[in-house]
Amino acid sequence: MANLTNLYDVSKCTACRGCMVACKDWNQLPAVIEPFKGNYDTHGGDTNGDTFTVVRFIEGEDPVDGVFWNFLKYQCMHCFYPACMKVCPQGAYSKTEWGATFHDPEKCIGCQYCTYACPFMIPKYRKREDKISKCTLCVDRVEEGLTPACARTCPTGALKFGDREELLAEAEERVKFLQANGFPRATIYGRVELGGLNKLYVLTDSPDKFGLPVDPKVPGQISFWQNWVQPYFGWLIPVALAGSAVSFVTTRILANKNGDHTEGGHE
Amino acid sequence: MQWIPEYKDDVPRVERFNFLSRFTHWGHTVTFLLCLFTGLALFLNNVDWLAAIFGGYHGAGLVHRIAAVIMTIVVVIFVIGNFKVLIAWIKDILRFGMNDIKFLLVFPLEFLGFKVKVPPQTKFNGGEKGNSIVTPTAVIFLILSGYIMWFPAIFPAGLVRLAYPIHDISMVLATMMVCMHGYLGSFHPGSGESFWGMWKGTVREDWAKHHHKTWYDETYGEQSKAE
Repeated sequence: MANLTNLYDVSKCTACRGCMVACKDWNQLPAVIEPFKGNYDTHGGDTNGDTFTVVRFIEGEDPVDGVFWNFLKYQCMHCFYPACMKVCPQGAYSKTEWGATFHDPEKCIGCQYCTYACPFMIPKYRKREDKISKCTLCVDRVEEGLTPACARTCPTGALKFGDREELLAEAEERVKFLQANGFPRATIYGRVELGGLNKLYVLTDSPDKFGLPVDPKVPGQISFWQNWVQPYFGWLIPVALAGSAVSFVTTRILANKNGDHTEGGHE
Repeated sequence: MQWIPEYKDDVPRVERFNFLSRFTHWGHTVTFLLCLFTGLALFLNNVDWLAAIFGGYHGAGLVHRIAAVIMTIVVVIFVIGNFKVLIAWIKDILRFGMNDIKFLLVFPLEFLGFKVKVPPQTKFNGGEKGNSIVTPTAVIFLILSGYIMWFPAIFPAGLVRLAYPIHDISMVLATMMVCMHGYLGSFHPGSGESFWGMWKGTVREDWAKHHHKTWYDETYGEQSKAE
């Protein structure tokens, strides 16, 4: 089955935050009043246990272009090769055949390995349940033939949902158009990052201007842990046990051969 | 077949471990094993039965944390309450020398039950010195990385990520040593008497002379009486 995904075009986004509201509404997430931080950014630019998606407001200054004000819808990237799925000791993560990375709260035990394995630190700990929560790409809607709540509600067409290949072709067209019309650094994000993300972005500038890692990587400690320590290192324990078992037998065989040797010492 | 050497109270015995040493040793044993089996429920795959013993994965997590806190307290009690013993222990480890190397070279044969000639050992022989370094170091790393994993929000993310492999490596090394230590300190015919040293506090005098001659001479032998 073809991958179904979101295409988010920042050049069309007006930062109305309708997607945030639609997400909370569909996923029945409580609306929490966040403290005022002196700018438009409501959630510090990051998701949390009760907020699967946020619109970032990024203010900055470029030495050449002067000040800029960028918006970015931010949520789980639904990686093709999700690190969260790899580290989860409970198998709570799964990939749907159309590309969503789904987290099953029933299996989750709240260990938070996934939070720290994720290059975007997207899975968030929800203390009141002692579980992780994150964007589901509206699995429950898509499986019924609907579009995700965020894409359905977007009034400007910045968010689209559909076949990944078709959306990629559309994104390329759009990037060409943007590059020719005042955004020379316009780019696609999500096509090759981490082997492919099941979320596509059309950015008007380089990813770092939107608070996205230019070359996201699974942290080295996590790779070392998962690829070396977990699969191989534990074998030292059965080796020690087997050595003791061998010794238990041979000491007693040799004791029978050589006479009394079992006095807890060599008299 | 004899499992561990019989405890004999009709022969001369000498003290090897004081009460606080034994209390903290066994307190550590119980909490370590609880932490080990609850932790293995996550480290190994498809061991739902292991978690079920502790009431499922949430129950195992709770037991793991409670045992870990008690273990921390036990370690602190030993360090503070038994400070002199701790210093003596460290000093003994630092005496690692030729006799310990010779011990380690012939030990594999003794381990399998062959009769070998072992040079005189201090309170802790070459193998015990190794265990005295590896296990406490691993446990310290386990405790530190464990609290970091328990409260990741208050630590830098890079440190939390590092804590995961450190916790696993320390667990494997400590468990490997505990397997050998548990076997050698009980069912191994040559060294099984040392079990009574940790259980009742005393070992047979002749065993002490034979296995830890340097320690015996310095503590209970002619040398110490002359001083």
